[in-house]
Amino acid sequence: MEQKIAEILAELCGVEPEEIQPELELFDEGLLDSFAAIQLVMELEEAFGVSLDMASLPRERIATPAAIATLIREKKG
Amino acid sequence: MTVLEQLKSYAQTDRIALVNRDEQLSYRELDARSDAFAAWLLDTFGEDCSPVVICGDKETDFLHCIFGALKSGRAYVPINSVVPKERAAQIIADVKPKVMVDFTGGNWGNDAQVLTPAALSEILKTSGTVSPESWVRETDTAYILFTSGSTGRPKGVPVTAGNLDAFCRGLLPFYPQEGGVILHQVSYSFDVSGCAVYAGICRGMTLFTIDHAMAANLQECFAALERSKLTLWVSTPSFAELCVQSERFSQALLPRLQQFLFCGEVLTHTLCDTLAQRFPSARILNTYGPTEATVLVTAAEITEEMRKDSRSIPIGRPIDGVTLRLERDGQVITGEEETGELQILGPTVGPGYWGRPDLTEKSFFTDRETGLRGYRTGDLCYQKGDWYYYCGRADNQLKLNGYRIEIEDVEANLQRLSGIRRAAVLPVRDGEGKAQYLAAFLLLEEPDGLTPLKRSIALKRQAAEFLPAYMIPRKFFAVDAFPLNVNGKIDKKVLTARLEGTP
Repeated sequence: MEQKIAEILAELCGVEPEEIQPELELFDEGLLDSFAAIQLVMELEEAFGVSLDMASLPRERIATPAAIATLIREKKG
Repeated sequence: MTVLEQLKSYAQTDRIALVNRDEQLSYRELDARSDAFAAWLLDTFGEDCSPVVICGDKETDFLHCIFGALKSGRAYVPINSVVPKERAAQIIADVKPKVMVDFTGGNWGNDAQVLTPAALSEILKTSGTVSPESWVRETDTAYILFTSGSTGRPKGVPVTAGNLDAFCRGLLPFYPQEGGVILHQVSYSFDVSGCAVYAGICRGMTLFTIDHAMAANLQECFAALERSKLTLWVSTPSFAELCVQSERFSQALLPRLQQFLFCGEVLTHTLCDTLAQRFPSARILNTYGPTEATVLVTAAEITEEMRKDSRSIPIGRPIDGVTLRLERDGQVITGEEETGELQILGPTVGPGYWGRPDLTEKSFFTDRETGLRGYRTGDLCYQKGDWYYYCGRADNQLKLNGYRIEIEDVEANLQRLSGIRRAAVLPVRDGEGKAQYLAAFLLLEEPDGLTPLKRSIALKRQAAEFLPAYMIPRKFFAVDAFPLNVNGKIDKKVLTARLEGTP
């Protein structure tokens, strides 16, 4: 799962998946803005078959690759 | 000026002019406080009518400053707080204000007197009255908005009180009723905000504020919208696209909503279909217009037939007072479905660019036959039946998430960063041709030894000193050399293909 998340993020930011470390601060480092975040959420929904409502999703839940992995695990139950 | 007359007349009632988070402002207060600011400007600066610069986001007092400046016969120049200091300083140097109202707490170091929020609030408490004799007159500039310029320096677009009166006359027939609540989300530095600030106030409506921080946090934004009693939605399609990502964005959230009004960029079939399904009793109005011709000049209520049609969503037909013309190779086109450059003629067309007679000469003209002021938009359109359809730019300008951007502006500013010899910037588009984000290809002075991620982080940080966030490319790619076309220019077609080829 971590690998897939890294691939999605790498594609979204135009970098290599190997560089995406679990604790990378995606917003603080300027890699994601609110429009990129929407695309990220849509791609996560598609890749993992989960439903993540943007409007009730605090930014902290997708602030790092590790946080995203935790979120997806939760949603998959 | 119509909006000031209407403000005066609604000040005799108990209507609410603005809701901003926990604050409420009545028409009476707005009228009195903007009078106080106008009186202070007249007392302090007398005959000197230099524009007033206002830096901030959606602070309640921002609105007092706008109407205060107009009542004192001065233009205002709004600069949004997301604009980097360096770029704001260029605008201020062009405008040469005597006074700046600053809600951002910046340290500007120019010759203008800077009013802090606290100093402004003292002025607004005073009781001053101003005679309509002092108000901006028809040919006086009401505001100057700065847009992306192809040289990398923002260019100013002045709009007169007469232009704004004509805009209100043309738009108001599309407003469902007197009163009601209108969305006030668009930034003051983007003229689509005039649909609320000018047309909304003319109708005695309540402006419901969504500030920058709320717009970036959908959870907070929806909580606010739920309480809003909104009747008229005004935004770019991009902001609505952000909202529809959540299922909660539906009639249940905004039960009183009568109409969506979109302006500022291409409205897609996808968005229209989603809204028609989620808000079965709200109408959708698409509009179009450049800042140079005052907010918007066409409008169309989007019918089911238009939504099912395979051509794009129409931008509409001219609003009252506006004349449109299509031209190709210097010849006026009259045939249906023939594409040409759109020209706008009539009382909403502004005087030209601020302090740039060269640029003004290129794009503005006075029509010999009719004597009307005209503007060449650089937008390609065609006409079919009653409706005009937009088919793209004749140059390198684009709309990204509602922001107007000159590609050369982004390139020129990236080339200012250390270690970058040359930058080529491209929009990446979706299936309906709407720009999604920018990608930049960079030729470095010398190898920087950085990984793509480290480079991307470093460049974004540096670029933020010169460019607002919406102009910073999402992706950066270092290249050893640029592909060139037969004219020796960077071949952007090859770069686009490379972008689509890379997964």
